[in-house]
This record gives sequence, C-alpha cells and structure tokens, in this order.
Amino acid sequence: MSNSNTPKVQIRDLHKSFGNNEVLKGIDCDIQAGEVVCVIGPSGSGKSTFLRCINCLEEPTQGTVRVDGNLMDEKAKNIDELREDVGMVFQHFNLFPHLSVMENLTIAPVLRKKMEKDEAVKVGMDLLERVGLADKADAMPNSLSGGQKQRVAIARALAMRPGLMLFDEPTSALDPEMVGEVLDVMRQLAKEGMTMVIVTHEMGFARQVSDRVLFIDQGVIAEDGTPAEVFDNPTHERTKSFLNKVLEA
Amino acid sequence: MDFFSLLQESLPMLLQGMGLTLQLSAVSLFFAMIIGIVASLMGMSKNIVLRAINKALVAVVRGTPLLVQAFFIYFGITGLLGIRITAFLAGTIALSLNAGGYLSEIFRGGIQAVDPGQREAARSLGLSAGQTTWRIIIPQAIRICIPSVVNQWCITIKDTSIISVIGLAELTNAAESIIARTYRSFETWLMVGAMYFIIIWLLTLLARFVEKKVSLDE
Repeated sequence: MSNSNTPKVQIRDLHKSFGNNEVLKGIDCDIQAGEVVCVIGPSGSGKSTFLRCINCLEEPTQGTVRVDGNLMDEKAKNIDELREDVGMVFQHFNLFPHLSVMENLTIAPVLRKKMEKDEAVKVGMDLLERVGLADKADAMPNSLSGGQKQRVAIARALAMRPGLMLFDEPTSALDPEMVGEVLDVMRQLAKEGMTMVIVTHEMGFARQVSDRVLFIDQGVIAEDGTPAEVFDNPTHERTKSFLNKVLEA
Repeated sequence: MDFFSLLQESLPMLLQGMGLTLQLSAVSLFFAMIIGIVASLMGMSKNIVLRAINKALVAVVRGTPLLVQAFFIYFGITGLLGIRITAFLAGTIALSLNAGGYLSEIFRGGIQAVDPGQREAARSLGLSAGQTTWRIIIPQAIRICIPSVVNQWCITIKDTSIISVIGLAELTNAAESIIARTYRSFETWLMVGAMYFIIIWLLTLLARFVEKKVSLDE
C-alpha cells in the first residue's frame, strides 16, 4: 500500500469523545516522511489525545488515521504489526520496572521480530551507546534518574526500528536540569531524518528543531505552519494569547 | 502431673494434629490458589456469565461464616446427595472455596493496580494483548499481591482450626481430646497457640525473604 507519494501519516476528520466530552473535533492532517512536527497548545486542548490516536492507543470516535496508508484500527488483525513501526515515548517513561534496562530494549524485538537474543542485545547496546547509557545495561529502571529513564525509553522505542516516533510531553516530568539531555537525544534523532511528532511545552526546542508546528486548541488545529510562521506571525488571536503566556514565563 | 509430663504425654498427639493441620493447609491453599487465579480471570472477563460466577463465589464466601460453609458441605450437600465424604475432603473443599474467593479479589486488585501506562507502553511496541498480560502485567501484579496473599495464607492456616468441628483430628481437635482426658485447659491451649504461632511466624519470615528478593525498589 505504501509508496513514495503516500504521506507517512494521514489523518482525516478525526473526532474523539470521552463520554459527552468531545476532545477532538475534526482534525485533518498529513505528515510526510522525515518531517519533524511539534504539537503545541494549552493543556486540555487535545494534543495528547491527537498523538495517542496516531498509534491507536485511543480509538477514534469518528474519522480515520492511516500510517503508511494502513488504517490504524484496534480491531484490525494486523494492528500489532502496524504498531511495531510506530515508536512512542511517554511523559512518565513507562519503563518495565521488573526488567533490566537491556531487557526493556530486547523484549519487543525478541517477541515480535523473532530476533535472536544475542542479536537483540547487540542492537540494544548500540542504542544505549547512542543515548549515552551503555554502562546502565544491567541496571534496573528504578535506579535511574528521570532523564536516564527517558533516554532508555527512547532507545527502547528505537529498538523496533520504527519509521515514525511519537513523543508525548517527553520532558514534562523531568527535573529542569535533566531536560537538556533528553532534548539532545531527540535533536540527534531529528538530524538523522526520523519522522517525529512531538507534543511539547518546550517552545525553544519546537522553534529550533521542528519543520512544522501545529497549534491545537479546543480540539482543532488552529495553526499549522513553519516555526517562524506560527511563533512570529500567528494568524489567530488564540495562538497569540497562548504564545504570550508561555513565552513570557 | 507437672507441665513437662503433660507435654511429654500430649506432644505425640499434638504433633500428629499439627501434621494434619499442615496437610489440610497445604492442600487447601494449593487448590485455593488455582480457584483464585481462575476466578479472578473470570471476574475480569468480558463474558457476563463468567463475571457473574465470580461475583457469586465472592459474595457467598464473604457473606457466610466458614463454620456454616463447612457444615453445609459436610452434612448438607452430602445428605442431599446421599453420599459420604471424609472430613478431610469436606474441609479441603470448604477452605479452598473460601480462600479461593478472597484470593480472586486479591489477584484482581493486583492486576488492576499495575500502572495503565505499562500496558500502553507494551502495546505501543507491538506486543499483543496476551504478550502484554503475561510478560508485563502479571509479573508486576504478582509483586503487588505478595503481602496480601501471604496474609490470606495465614488466615486460612488458622481457619483450619474451624474444621475441627466436623471431627477432623487436626491440631485444635487434638487439643480438645487432650483436655477432655486431662482437664488441663490452660497448658494445652498455650501449647496449641504456640504451635500455630510458630507455623505462621516461619511463613511470615519466608514471605519477607521472598518479598525482598523480588522487590523492584532500590
């Protein structure tokens, strides 16, 4: 189904309600392979829900999400395979606390890609070196700092060799001095050409790293443009007032 | 008769009773764990009939005294069906169902106490629902459950004393026989209490060791 013209992610008329609360009110959006897209907006605006619909952690109430042209549907037989290609990094890391750092990295490749354990460990070691944590391979997650946990979480997602990475406020639960080390890893990943969708409150990072910024407010995409367009020349009053609030802080 | 003569005379019978108590405890807890696991899975099933069966078991076990449950099984059901079973079998059935009901609630609570983010992280990596449950959720749920499970084991071991009422010559029943013969209530119940205490104490030590061994905290 996928060819070079198919967008990496194709979202059409996406609605999501929780009970009577409609969080997403019709979102249309294409993300091209290699694009780095930052999603910003006030809390409760639906940014995280938007992100979680992309790998179908939330099922759309209406509308469709396609990755490489494949419909992301919880009931689809191949949903597990489709998710293998979409890595996700969570605000609260969600490392598996009963597994060592290396086991966190190898469990999915071994179970899903039928990779030999030795091979998976080798891949895992390369990834840990990339995020600067090769010495922590045998450590248990609870012995790591927040920044280290999040770098392991990024490595764990990368171990499946995904074509798309989703980041759900990856630095929001970190102590300020640890934000930099995580953003550095993400910056490196962007430079290598990874397709990334990042929900973030780090405006400096969004401006510097992203190709495109989406401003989501009240369940719709209110602004969609280059960082320069969105940050310097926002078209909506809502965007202006949001940016004023976060940038003056 | 001084205390040591009494001890000497009654110890063989008490030890025999304790042996039976340990047997009844072990067999009952073995089946209770199986019943507990199956019932907790039923309780979390999408199937409404399976959920109802679990709810009924828990409600009956909670809502009636173990003493009544034991009488009902040993005299009530056997009378109705016109069959005879041993007191040991009746005791095993009563204790297994009783502890199984409580354990199913403990297991369900443990599974539901695992951070939902764990399931999300596993599914986002492509792990199937089954792989997520067995590789990610259950190992963490077991750790959460250990203290409550051990607590239930202690309760059930002590509850075997209730089975003395249907004539099984376990530790409490043995004590009653000794007192009927010697009239030495104080010393006998003191010895019996000490024996229960030692069993529970050893189990608690073992549990603490295991808990420490599998702990995820630094």
